Amino acid sequence: MKPRPPAMRTKRRYILVRILPYGMVADQKQVYLSVIEAATSLLGDAVVGLAQPAVVSCDGGYAVVRCRRGSEADITTALATVTSVADERAALRTVAVSGTIHALRRRMKPIRPAQDPAETAVGDGCFTAYRYPRQKVDLLEKGIKHQKLLFFTEADLEER
Amino acid sequence: MKITDACVYPYPAGDSTPARMAFEARDLGFDSIIAVGAGVRPSPGAEVLRGAVIGAASIKDVLKQVRDPAVRRADVVSVNARDIAFNRAVVSLKEIRVVRGIHATQRNAFDHVAARSAAEHGVAVDISLAPLIQLRGTRRQRALQRYADILTLQRRYGFPLTISSDARSILEQRPVRDVQGLCGLFGMTGTEVSEALASVGRLVTPDSPVKVVR
Repeated sequence: MKPRPPAMRTKRRYILVRILPYGMVADQKQVYLSVIEAATSLLGDAVVGLAQPAVVSCDGGYAVVRCRRGSEADITTALATVTSVADERAALRTVAVSGTIHALRRRMKPIRPAQDPAETAVGDGCFTAYRYPRQKVDLLEKGIKHQKLLFFTEADLEER
Repeated sequence: MKITDACVYPYPAGDSTPARMAFEARDLGFDSIIAVGAGVRPSPGAEVLRGAVIGAASIKDVLKQVRDPAVRRADVVSVNARDIAFNRAVVSLKEIRVVRGIHATQRNAFDHVAARSAAEHGVAVDISLAPLIQLRGTRRQRALQRYADILTLQRRYGFPLTISSDARSILEQRPVRDVQGLCGLFGMTGTEVSEALASVGRLVTPDSPVKVVR
């Protein structure tokens, strides 16, 4: 089928979101399911059907969500109500909204651990510490299941 | 102190330390946060104020807990709302600055009498974003209805509002732009959201006559 001319195509908006916690490996389909669940629950089927949200890409701690132009405010609000991705606690933080994916790529600044992971003890538990820029330290409890995740700073660790 | 998250619960109640939540709050556009149940120390992130939340069954218990040294040290003292008689009494106590958890009470628990009294005594009503973010279905719809009712009373009587994330983790904190979007769900305008975010500053340092210091 011949594609529609550009003037007749649906106008789209692209929303760049950062996935927290750092280092979380999120599957694109799982992110899509979380976004759709949150949006449908908050806005209803009719609004979400017209907004046509979709997850275009999911890589490097960022995801790009596509929607129809004019519905980006609703979808951004819905993204704020996402609390988990694939049964893991997560948050989606809106970074920017644009009409092209190319413009959003410039805003992606992947955050990687500043040093190699190290072991540390907090209270009775033994944790693996992932250090990030600006004194941020994520602590992942060592274990197989129900691993606790704590969010500290360098100063908090030095005090203990 | 223009934009304040009116209540967060840092480690050990939550999983993030006050310093980490302050860093996150600064990144999300807040000037300050009120941390409940944690030691407060200077932070390079947002300013951290000390908060206390009183959960009491009767007004007598509230008066007893207000005398607690930990509560006296707090910058902002809040009380969990209950039935109508309790709420009417609690908004007239001078030690209490905020009434919280209105969404969890009955529909008539905060009426025009309590609203007028809150406006006279400068007691704020807190709007927690946690039920809007974390709940689904009828429970979230009920919270939205309650907040819309509170907003109607606020527009008529003019008592202060505060907005809190009730976050126990940095994953539960939300940016100021998202706060405006979530509050827009129950009809709050951008100006009203800005005023509500700034009202903690007025609660901590209320308008008072000028003192001459020699």
